[in-house]
Amino acid sequence: MIIEIDNISKSYGDQKVIENFSLQIESEHSYVITGESGSGKTTLLRILLGLESADEGRISLLGDYKYPYLNAGVVFQEDRLLEGFSAVENVAMASRRMAKETAREELEKLLPADQLDKPVRELSGGMKRRVAIVRACSISSDILILDEPFTGLDNGNKEKVIQYIREKQGNNPLVITSHSLEGLEFCRNISIK
Amino acid sequence: MKKKILIIAMWLLIWQLLSLIIHNKILLVGPVETIQSLITLSQNPEFWQSVIASAMRIGLGFILGALFGIFMAALAYQKSLVRDFLEPLVAALKAIPVASFVIIVLIWIGNINLSIVISFLIVFPIMYLNTLEGLNSTDKKLLEMAHVYRIGTFRKIRYIYLPEIYFFLVSGVKLSIGMAWKSGVAAEVIGQPLGTIGNGLYRAKIYLETGDLFAWTLVIIILSWLFEKVFLLLIKAPVLFGIIKTAPCDNDSEGGARN
Repeated sequence: MIIEIDNISKSYGDQKVIENFSLQIESEHSYVITGESGSGKTTLLRILLGLESADEGRISLLGDYKYPYLNAGVVFQEDRLLEGFSAVENVAMASRRMAKETAREELEKLLPADQLDKPVRELSGGMKRRVAIVRACSISSDILILDEPFTGLDNGNKEKVIQYIREKQGNNPLVITSHSLEGLEFCRNISIK
Repeated sequence: MKKKILIIAMWLLIWQLLSLIIHNKILLVGPVETIQSLITLSQNPEFWQSVIASAMRIGLGFILGALFGIFMAALAYQKSLVRDFLEPLVAALKAIPVASFVIIVLIWIGNINLSIVISFLIVFPIMYLNTLEGLNSTDKKLLEMAHVYRIGTFRKIRYIYLPEIYFFLVSGVKLSIGMAWKSGVAAEVIGQPLGTIGNGLYRAKIYLETGDLFAWTLVIIILSWLFEKVFLLLIKAPVLFGIIKTAPCDNDSEGGARN
């Protein structure tokens, strides 16, 4: 699949957040979008997901794509988990086709098994982040879009998470926003200002 | 619990002492005479028929009002036109005195099903407003997540909406059950359908049987309490069985949408 981002701009009031940004996202490629706080990284991902529209420019899904929307596994800037439900339920509810056993197997790759049935409100920030990452990576999707996925993770867990993401990425494109490039050397660095 | 029982016992004692001081069974009867009247009334099969008839009618009015209120709130949440259209009606239902409703409905449909309609009219706006408030307070970021993951309506209701509106529903049920009983019995007192609690209250007033009046009032309090317990148990059942899991949301705690 190819996603063509063509010269998009976005403003909030008088504040120009994205200005004439272009990028071609292709299968099997990984991209890390870097930039300072407020540089429009999250806004770019939201436009890509169709949650916001660009003021100018356009985003096209090139080729014979099966859906009218982007079928993506997404980690938002916040965890956006169902606080009263367990990690297993949070992952399983994201896809109609995913059994709880599958969700558990996926979660066990990043989290201790004894934490998976507790309500996620009882988990630490880093654990919640890993649940959100597993939810994004374990559903059947055509692209992974991860907004600051390593927030709250220590170096050891970050390394494990990167390995997990790469394993789950398969042939799909991967788009990550991050303040730091550490551990993301395999990605093409796209700077946004 | 011990403290609660002691407080209730104190009030019963005060009530009994007051009735002894006043010493006029038309003005005030004590708890002992009230229980005696209740025992006498309960030996008459008509008493039980009245209790069942009123409970069924008020219960039906409550169920219909609650279901219609929840359904219309769900529609109003999705369609602002429905919300705007219902706004004056709901405001009017809240403002119009129960007595006015009773007289109008009495003229329209007679007295047999009066308490069903009155309970319905009282319960509907409470459940409608509570449910709508709960739906409006649903975490928009979770809904956005559900949209991105193409989560179906059923799972959205189970995992996102129900945990959010649950406490609003419980509070609506608690408030409206008491109101349904108060307004339903008031309607029966005014409309006088035979073989109802309202009719029993009215007869107690006519014959200055204050003991009966207090006994019927006690029956209403007990039934209202029982209804509240039963309906709250029904509404809590999905939580007890783990179908709905309620939790405060703190998704806003890690910054805004833009970076």
